[in-house]
Order: sequence, then structure tokens, then C-alpha cells
Amino acid sequence: MTDSIRLTSYSRRAGCAAKVGPGDLQDILSRLPEESRPELLSSTRNGEDAGVYLLSEGLAMVQTVDFFGPMVDDPYSFGQIAAANALSDIYAMGGKPLTSLNVVAYPCELELDIIESMLRGGYDKVHEAGAVVVGGHTVHDEELKYGMAVTGVVDPARMTTIDGARPGDLLVLTKPIGTGILATALKADFISEKEIGEAIESMCALNAGAAGVLSRHEVSACTDVTGFGLAGHLFEMLRAGNVSAELWADEVPLLEHALEMASMGMVPEGQFRNRRYVIGAELPMNDDRDDLLVACIYDPQTSGGLLAAIGAGQADAAVEELHGGGAPRAAVIGKVTPRSEKLLRVRHERND
Amino acid sequence: MADFGLDCRGLVCPEPVIRTKRALAEGRKSLQITVDNETARDNVSRFARTSGCEVDVSEIEGGFVLSVTRAGSAADESAAVQAHEKRAPRSGSVILVTADEIGKGRRELGTTLMKSFLYACVEADEVPATMIFMNSGVRLVTEDDETIAHVKTLEERGVDIIACGTCLDYYGLKERLASGRVGNMYEIQTMLISADNLVAL
Repeated sequence: MTDSIRLTSYSRRAGCAAKVGPGDLQDILSRLPEESRPELLSSTRNGEDAGVYLLSEGLAMVQTVDFFGPMVDDPYSFGQIAAANALSDIYAMGGKPLTSLNVVAYPCELELDIIESMLRGGYDKVHEAGAVVVGGHTVHDEELKYGMAVTGVVDPARMTTIDGARPGDLLVLTKPIGTGILATALKADFISEKEIGEAIESMCALNAGAAGVLSRHEVSACTDVTGFGLAGHLFEMLRAGNVSAELWADEVPLLEHALEMASMGMVPEGQFRNRRYVIGAELPMNDDRDDLLVACIYDPQTSGGLLAAIGAGQADAAVEELHGGGAPRAAVIGKVTPRSEKLLRVRHERND
Repeated sequence: MADFGLDCRGLVCPEPVIRTKRALAEGRKSLQITVDNETARDNVSRFARTSGCEVDVSEIEGGFVLSVTRAGSAADESAAVQAHEKRAPRSGSVILVTADEIGKGRRELGTTLMKSFLYACVEADEVPATMIFMNSGVRLVTEDDETIAHVKTLEERGVDIIACGTCLDYYGLKERLASGRVGNMYEIQTMLISADNLVAL
């Protein structure tokens, strides 16, 4: 029976493609109080991944929450992806996760063993991260949603924030992109769950290994790539650091079948929102392939990789280490440049 | 002049592409597709071009109209379309729907199951030759916009949709029949008796 349930049919939008557009969100937040007190080390205004609050000297608490609808049909995989995605924000800040709370909404008609299987996926990921599940909250809803609130710790001196990128740094991405396109194709039955195995594996993978490698290198800024797409999250990093960047599209690691499914019209709606958000980007628009590459760069990601700005002398060594440290497709994908009129320039080849 | 119009306004991606694919798989040579957002415009264009069609986009108030034309006989071999080829209705097969829900149990579940069954019929490679709606089953072709849309699609794919006249009268729904035609008990009895393959719900 479980095999015939299509989990994705319980959600209109898949994974982080359901995230509220970055522009709209900023609009709302700008009218709400801007929190500030000495212990609050993170800003609520520049798209930081998690909140960081100083507890005592050398010890800060990191908090984040993330939940969404299923982008795959297998409940255990969905559970793992939701947990990996929530934990990722802690890793993006250079922190270590300690506890998590489940956040669940599910339709009454869904069988309970499916919910159990989904939660088991979540527990397994949290345990893999060395953390514990300490509780949760469940409500009934028309659409299935799952995620977690995660709390961790970080040494403020070693915290990686979104705003420190310096001209000359190279940009490193630790996971391939295209999960939004592939999830859309799965929902439309243009591709099977088996064929998107690489994407599922990538979404299930923790960013723990990658964060460990990055902590041994000179990282000046770091964030994780989720709903706003590679270009959207890079844009936030550039704006927060008041710098510009060149993105080398041919160097960006793409998931298998992502370009092919984009060419079949499987680009999710969130891609367009992301495109409108990144103001003044210079894009290659010469042919159909450019159109598809650009669609991938703006594709909303679920449980995407870490995007880090690393001192130029260390970036290639870091990537080599990442390949052996849980991020086999990590790559140098661009470079940070001094702030110019255009925040983001996309070209094809690497250009150090 | 397009031989088939597809109104995809109000539909979320990837639904406009799915409908375009279905129309091409049915052998339509030219389509006129109306969409109300840029994502659908770009996606339908990408799909149509990849499927070997020519696409012409024009902007209208509140959306876009895409004229999609098959580029020639080579396009008919297009892998994109062939991969999900939909077949003609299965002759002699009849589905009899006697309620607006499936099975006995919680009504909420029963009606959800009926909706998803009709959607599955729409998505299936093979559709039945005839679908007969009786008793509260006539609500599915008169009252519920979601099921009406599914039944209309089935009708477009060549399924003979019959709603029981007595039942429509009883519920006062005759004026609201949105898809198919009215049938009487003699006709329905003949169809049930002569069916090679009858599924009753």
C-alpha cells in the first residue's frame, strides 16, 4: 500500500520552492521591529541563516527553523531531507547542532505508518548529526508539511556569517544544483524517483562534512543554498558584504538530468521570483542552453550545499579536501570582486 | 488557425506543460495556449521547442497566448511526446459511478478518493470507452468544479460520458450538467449488459 501513495500529491509546491519570495519577505520584515541587544550577534536584516545569541564568553546559541511540503514520494527520504535541510542552517553559521524539535502538519487521510516513516527519516538524520530530538508539535492540515526547529552552539570567534566576503576571494559551492527542477519533473511524472537518485542522495546529505572542511580554511563568508537559488543566496552574500561577484556558469556543478528537465519546461515558479529579486544581474542570453543554465542558477534548492567565500590561495585546496570529505561534487564557481554597478555578473568560463 | 485551444490560466506549473504534452500526444498539429504568468510562458515554450515545435508568443491583457505548431513530420517522432503517448479509449470498457464518493467510511475520505480516482483516469495511458454517472454520482458532473474539469478532459480524450436523467431530475441538477450527455435507463441497461469489461464504483 505504501508504495502506491504519492506523497508529492499532498503538496502543491515542492520543498523550498514553496518559500515566500525573498523580496516579499524583506518588505514584511522591514515594517516589523529590528531586534537589537548586545547578546544578539546575528542580524535579522541581511538574510542570515540562523539566529545567534551570546550565552557566555566563547559560547553562543544558534537557532533556526525550516519546514516544507514533500518533494519526493518516499516518506523516509522526505524525512531525511527535511531534517538535513533544517540542520544545514546551523552548519552554515559554523555551529554544531545539539537539539531539535519536529514541526509536523498532516492531512487526516494520510496513513499513520507514513508519518512514522517520515519521522524516522528525521530522527536518523538528527542522530547522524550527533544531536537529539527533544520534542515537537503536530497539527492537521490539508497539505503535508515537515521540518524542524534546531538549536546548536557556536564559538562566536569562529562563527561564519553571510557578510564577510572580500574582493579576491573565490566562491566555493559544496553540492550540485537543480533539485527544484527535478522535483517539479517528478511531480509531473516526467521522470521517476529512481532517475533522480543523485538529487535525493544530495538532498539527504548533511552539510556537516563540508562545514568541517571549511572550518579548517580561511572562510570569510558562508551561507547555505536553499529556496532563493544559487543566484539569490549569492546576491544576499554580496549585498551583505558590499561587494560584487563573477559567477562561472560552466563551473557550477549540476545534478544529472537537471538541464534536460529544464528543457522540458520543468522549471518551478520560484525560479522566476528569484530572478526578479536579484536586481541588475548581467546574464549570458545567447541561446537555448544559456536560458537553461540561467534557469538552474536561479532554481530554488531544497537542502542545498554551502556557499563559501574563501581566500584565493586556499580555495582549490579546500575543494580537493571537500571531495574526500562528504562533498564529492564541490567546485570553485566564481570570484568576489570590488563593488561595482552590477552586483552579479554571470559568464561561462573560469576567470581567476 | 490553431486546431485546439488550451486555457491554462490559473494553473500552477508544471500543469500547463502537462496539458500541452497531452494535447500534442493526442496528435494535435497546432495549439493555442493561454497562460497567465511568465513561468508558464517560458516552460511551455521550452517544452514545445524541445518537442520539435515552433512557438510564437504574444502578450495579451493579464497573460500570454502561445501558438504552438508542429514543425513537420519529423516532429511527430519527437521522443518527448512519444515517451508518454496516450492511447485511444479501450473499447467495450465501462465504468459505472453510483455515488460521489468511493466506498463506505468517512465521507471526507470517500470524496477525496473519488477525486483522486478521476484524476488518475485523466493521467492514465488508457481511458474507458464509457463512464456512466448515477445517483449522487451525477454531482461529479454538475456541482464540483474539480471533478468536472477531470471529466471534461476525459470527454476530450474520447470517453462517452453519460449522466442518468432520472438522477439529475431527482437532485434538480439537470440545468447544471457541465460535461457529457443525459442517458435514460434503457440505454444504460444496454451498455452495462453489453460491456466487455465493467467496473462499478
